[in-house]
Amino acid sequence: MASALLELRGIAKFYGHRCVFRAVDLVVARGTVQLLTGANGAGKSTLMRLMAGLQRPNAGSCACHAAEGRVAYLGHATFLYPGLTALENLAFWKKAQGSRLTEADLMALLERVGLERHAHERAGIFSRGMAQRLNLARALLVAPELLLLDEPGTGLDSRAAVMLREEIVQARQRGAGIVWISHDVAADAPFADKVLTLEQGRLHEGGQGAATP
Amino acid sequence: MRGSWTMVCALLAALALGVCQWLVYVYAPVERSMGLVQKIFYLHLPLAWWGLASFFVVFAASIAYLRSRRPWWDQLARAGAEVGLLLAILALVSGAVWARHSWGVWWTWDPRLTTTLVMCFVYAGYLALRGLELPEQRKGTICAVVGIVAFLDVPLVFVSARLWRSIHPAVFAAEGGGLEPEMRLTALVCVASFGLLWLALTALRARQLAVAAHIAHLLMSRHEQDA
Amino acid sequence: MMRAVLAIARKDLTLTLARGGGLVQALLLGLLLLFMFSLSQEVGERMSPQGAAAIFWLASAFCQVLIFNALYGLEEVHGARQGLALLPCPVQAVWIGKALAGLALLLLAQTLFVPATVIFLGQDMSGEWWWALAVLLLADLGMALLGSLLGALSQGQAAKESILSIVLFPLLAPLLLAGIRVGAGLFAGRTAEGVTQWIGVAAAFDALFAAAGLVLFAYIYPGEE
Repeated sequence: MASALLELRGIAKFYGHRCVFRAVDLVVARGTVQLLTGANGAGKSTLMRLMAGLQRPNAGSCACHAAEGRVAYLGHATFLYPGLTALENLAFWKKAQGSRLTEADLMALLERVGLERHAHERAGIFSRGMAQRLNLARALLVAPELLLLDEPGTGLDSRAAVMLREEIVQARQRGAGIVWISHDVAADAPFADKVLTLEQGRLHEGGQGAATP
Repeated sequence: MRGSWTMVCALLAALALGVCQWLVYVYAPVERSMGLVQKIFYLHLPLAWWGLASFFVVFAASIAYLRSRRPWWDQLARAGAEVGLLLAILALVSGAVWARHSWGVWWTWDPRLTTTLVMCFVYAGYLALRGLELPEQRKGTICAVVGIVAFLDVPLVFVSARLWRSIHPAVFAAEGGGLEPEMRLTALVCVASFGLLWLALTALRARQLAVAAHIAHLLMSRHEQDA
Repeated sequence: MMRAVLAIARKDLTLTLARGGGLVQALLLGLLLLFMFSLSQEVGERMSPQGAAAIFWLASAFCQVLIFNALYGLEEVHGARQGLALLPCPVQAVWIGKALAGLALLLLAQTLFVPATVIFLGQDMSGEWWWALAVLLLADLGMALLGSLLGALSQGQAAKESILSIVLFPLLAPLLLAGIRVGAGLFAGRTAEGVTQWIGVAAAFDALFAAAGLVLFAYIYPGEE
């Protein structure tokens, strides 16, 4: 499959003797959104960290075909340095990633997530929602081909949640493959191509999403 | 039976060390200037050599662990560090008694002495690291890295200790020098027999650690089945 | 890779210097050590050059442990360590970046420790200072390389400062000996004997642990959750 960005085949993960999941197959194609759901502790976040390459599976293969440096992962941790301002945080990750964006680009990015007025405030005094927005801006920094979102709506107010969904729709239109862990399936399913459920160590399809191209 | 060669090794060591006692006290002549105290040498030399060999085992097992991730190497490295630290401390103590008698001081900046002492500190730190509450894999990796770095440091410590001392007037003559043939034979046999004991001790400790890990494993899976 | 290295070093320096990070603690500890040891002198007595040099390097060593603990602690606050792991460059960039930042901070601290040694311990720098400076730089480089490698152990509260210093100090012995010997020469107003050999020891140490860090760092950092 030429457009596959990420292919998981027969993935299994154990913590000691406890099996988190096994025989997980998943293909993420370009321009699709996969909504990943499941109860607390079902292993969704672990699966996503495997996709990002932060953890290794005990069995199976995980092949990523996205261009190097074009994978973005947004997890529970915000990766922010409280001592740096919002803009400095972005500038650091930009430089570390070797991206060529200018400061104006970064300001535009901050505007997209609604933080332009707080660009020069330290991230340490941000609320959870503001930190999450900045986290999202950091993820979008690389114009990701593969976007892995682990409950990106955490702490966001309703306006920011709308902004988040817009960004996801736009990324999908740009041809990005998106995996999105969400607890609010009813609200988020309309934006997804497919809904997947992780249950008792197995991944199965939980119905077609309703996204329109 | 997997453990049988350790047992054979230990029995041989017992026999050989018995022979050594005879060699040390009956066969080898009493040294003229130092008298009976010189006999410490036959204990000190094997302790020091096999202590260093233990640290090399830690180094090699650490590399093997990083390459293969097999817990056995981790256990061997730990066994090597424990045995090595014990031997090195005993070598220091026996060396200090020797130094007191032959040079009149308990401690000097002899490069060998200094290197052994620094190694003791390093491997004591290594074992302290082993005592931390950490996930098994992570601990294994950390300790392997420290185990490798520690051994790389040995030649540098030795060179710097020698440089350090060379500034002071060479009051203390280096030990060794011309050994009587009987003395040399005795020393070699002592080193070899002690090697058997060392091998048995290290292997036994490594196996003990492996069994302990296995038991912990079994208990854990049992608890999980119960839950 | 170089861009990432510089970005990390610059970020760490900004956080520690401009934003009141861990440096103050490290400086205070070093200065306190120097001051406390000055109590061992009788009134009007002058500490031996070797004693003063030893105390100076002891202060530097303690300072360095706190510096690297702080530098790696920065990555733990909001899990930035994972972000560094995902960067499209070898993870050794973190090791080099932090070694650079640590080296800069250590040198900065020592610009305070040198006058403090001169004042509290009654020394004067009458020797040939360029030899001392060369050894100082080489020793600091080695301390930074090894400190950055072992500092990564403190990730995730795995090891506290105490354990870091227990492992680190004896390993630094060759560098400390070199620093003390040459520093003593400086304070005593003569060139230390064997100074070129001491430079050799320090350079060998740097080369060895640069190679070791390059190979080994990827094993301990960033480490799985």
